[in-house]
Amino acid sequence: MVEIRGKYTFPGGTHPPDNKHFSENCPIESVPVPKQVAVLLSQHLGAVCVSTVAKKDAVLAGQMIGKSDAFVSAPIHSPVNGTVKDITLLPHPVIGRTMGIVIDVDADNNEIKQPVNGGFDNTFNPGNYTVEQICKAVKEGGIVGMGGAGFPTRVKIEPNPAMPKEILLINACECEPFITCDYRVMLEWTWQFLAGVRLAARAAGCEKIRIGIEDNKPEAIEVITNAVEELGGMDDIQVVPVKTKYPQGGERQLIRSVLGKTVPTGSIPPTIGVCVLNVATCAAIAEAVVNNHPLTHRVVSVAGCAIAKPGNYYVPIGMRVEDLITHCGGLTETSAKVVMGGPMMGFAIADLSTPLTKTSGALTFLTKAAVTRAKYEKQQTPCIRCGRCLSVCPEHLNPTKIAHAVKHFRMDIAQDYYMSACIECGCCSYVCPANIEITGYIKTGKLLQARAKKRLG
Amino acid sequence: MLSKITVSPAPHISQKLSTQRVMLDVLIGLLPAVVAAVFYFRLRAALVMAICVVSCMVSEWVCNVIRKKPNSLGDLSAVVTGLILAMSLPPQAPWWMCVIGSGFAIIIAKMLFGGLGANIFNPAMASRAFLAASFGALMTTWTVPATLGPVQYKGQETRVLAAIHAENCYESSDEQVALTQATPLAWSKTAQKANNVAGTTQATPMIGELEWMLKPAFYGSVGGCLGETSALALLVGGVYLLVRRTITFHIPAAVLIAAAVFAGIFYLVNPDKYANPAFHLVSGGMLICAFFIATDPVTAPLSAKGMWIFGAGVGALIMLIRLVGEYPEGVMYAILIMNAVTPLIDRACKLVPAGGKPHVQ
Repeated sequence: MVEIRGKYTFPGGTHPPDNKHFSENCPIESVPVPKQVAVLLSQHLGAVCVSTVAKKDAVLAGQMIGKSDAFVSAPIHSPVNGTVKDITLLPHPVIGRTMGIVIDVDADNNEIKQPVNGGFDNTFNPGNYTVEQICKAVKEGGIVGMGGAGFPTRVKIEPNPAMPKEILLINACECEPFITCDYRVMLEWTWQFLAGVRLAARAAGCEKIRIGIEDNKPEAIEVITNAVEELGGMDDIQVVPVKTKYPQGGERQLIRSVLGKTVPTGSIPPTIGVCVLNVATCAAIAEAVVNNHPLTHRVVSVAGCAIAKPGNYYVPIGMRVEDLITHCGGLTETSAKVVMGGPMMGFAIADLSTPLTKTSGALTFLTKAAVTRAKYEKQQTPCIRCGRCLSVCPEHLNPTKIAHAVKHFRMDIAQDYYMSACIECGCCSYVCPANIEITGYIKTGKLLQARAKKRLG
Repeated sequence: MLSKITVSPAPHISQKLSTQRVMLDVLIGLLPAVVAAVFYFRLRAALVMAICVVSCMVSEWVCNVIRKKPNSLGDLSAVVTGLILAMSLPPQAPWWMCVIGSGFAIIIAKMLFGGLGANIFNPAMASRAFLAASFGALMTTWTVPATLGPVQYKGQETRVLAAIHAENCYESSDEQVALTQATPLAWSKTAQKANNVAGTTQATPMIGELEWMLKPAFYGSVGGCLGETSALALLVGGVYLLVRRTITFHIPAAVLIAAAVFAGIFYLVNPDKYANPAFHLVSGGMLICAFFIATDPVTAPLSAKGMWIFGAGVGALIMLIRLVGEYPEGVMYAILIMNAVTPLIDRACKLVPAGGKPHVQ
């Protein structure tokens, strides 16, 4: 019997309704190839890529079409065979507008195939690949953290003598409501996922592998535990069920829950010898290393009351949101918000021609009822200093103080209250009875701070 | 359909909780005390509460009109202020005093500071302090609860009651003649002072005789402010607030523990002079203060650590005033003093991030 109930957790956090029922039982399904894709040149943290193709060039699926020489960056590949129609400014879900490559898809020869565990089972041996091979494939495959931040994976897993990594922590929490893409990957692509995990551990030089899964996904815990057993102790892999709480899938929170360690403020996990990777990222690593496929497709879960046909779809990166909506049967009358990502940290988009990126794990379609009336009408009432935001903040910050400092452009006060330590999980705004967009203010503050720094530097 | 789509910063969902709901919970929590007040003081209590609530709402509305701000009556904070003010007034409070008090609470103590969330002092307590300073006699006239006829005074505690009777006076108010009585705390204060004088005579009140008041004070059949009488009703309301998570346990626990410890030390040192801690916990404004007044979020610190300090300060100050000070009751001043230091507590209890202080800012 597999132990399902999570014992470990972190202080703070909230319990939003998880709403996984929309898509958790929908198998991953390929979508028909759209007529046109728009591949953005900034899909990751770090330097923006420069296009390596010109207008009217013919491109092949898997061909590199954007790259950057910077260390923290990841190349971009074309998901389809086609012709470059335009290189222009395109809507970006996070940063507004950015350069992107619009590709007209060739009419033929463009079927999207799912990996479906191809070539992966319990006999897979990561020892067949050298560390250099793995790192090269990850680097050239343009793999980034697919959970949302989009940090280039190569930077994470490349061996770094200054910060040796001991533990590889797989973030399989998926604590955001509505999102189920990682859950389906674990259930359906179990062996590919585990192969990716072991490859990453080999590259990073991690002896131990821990997989943290929230206990509201008992099936995933069981499937992965059984699979790990089948591996027969080839690696030190352990599945750790953790308590269901938002933001359990925050990197720092998960490290605290599973390993009991605290990442110092302003540092990254490698400083305490931990490397954290997301489920989809691991699956992508296996595909890049073994099958030599760069990251051009991903699983996107489509959920919410305002979409006709929710599910988990395997889509080319660069597919426009409106094409996916059409495939899913269209928006229903009541839709109020289209969110790229989950409802807690995702980005609401206004332009449905926004393309999907490497980091968009979900499209959430919220109705007016789901958004709640106060949020829909954007009624903010005065802060009554109830302290709820302090008690839920997983990073022990004083969100209301920071937000009000930013509101009055007092960046010195905001910084004094550790604004930059905020992980932007949204717990404070979620619980706020006055409905103040605390997280929104803090994000604005960080942006203003970054701009001020740029101007000075 | 595109035109209907809106954008805003994440998160896009929120808990179904509003300021209005928080205030409504406080009102529901006060309901048992309201019922108890009406039960013990009948129509007078209902009148005082109604006048205070209505005049608080009118004051808030007038302020909003003058400041050209949107109507904020919907958040119910004015109702809560009015009700808590009424709870801290004696049942015999005349209507004009209620109106003046409500006006002071809303206009001076709340709106002039910037409205909800910006006031430094608890409006109800600030207003009560104003009334106590302005109408001292009216604020210390305590009616005997309606459930207690003078007949009951002929029980086994003849000596105590005789002393109370000696203090009684018949005060003619607007429409009725009421029998007034010293509150348990006033009784305790008199006993303390009598103990200070050397060579006490038989006739002076003794502190040990307060024991019989413990039970009436718990159920509420003693004189006092509307909200001071029934400890039971306040406890029920307090538990409701805790269960609903409208308040956290920190402040009530800190107030009660600090008060009990403070009273306990004095009691152990001189049980002949000071009443036992249980008596202090159930009498006067201790419970309404711990659950409803000190927990006013606007004027209390934000962090859990700050709340402990704040609550402990309130509890200790109440007991300091009760046991050492001149006044029989100290809730009002304890709250006001701690309200004043709340910003300091907040600054002193600055939270340290989960990952510790960053090395480089």
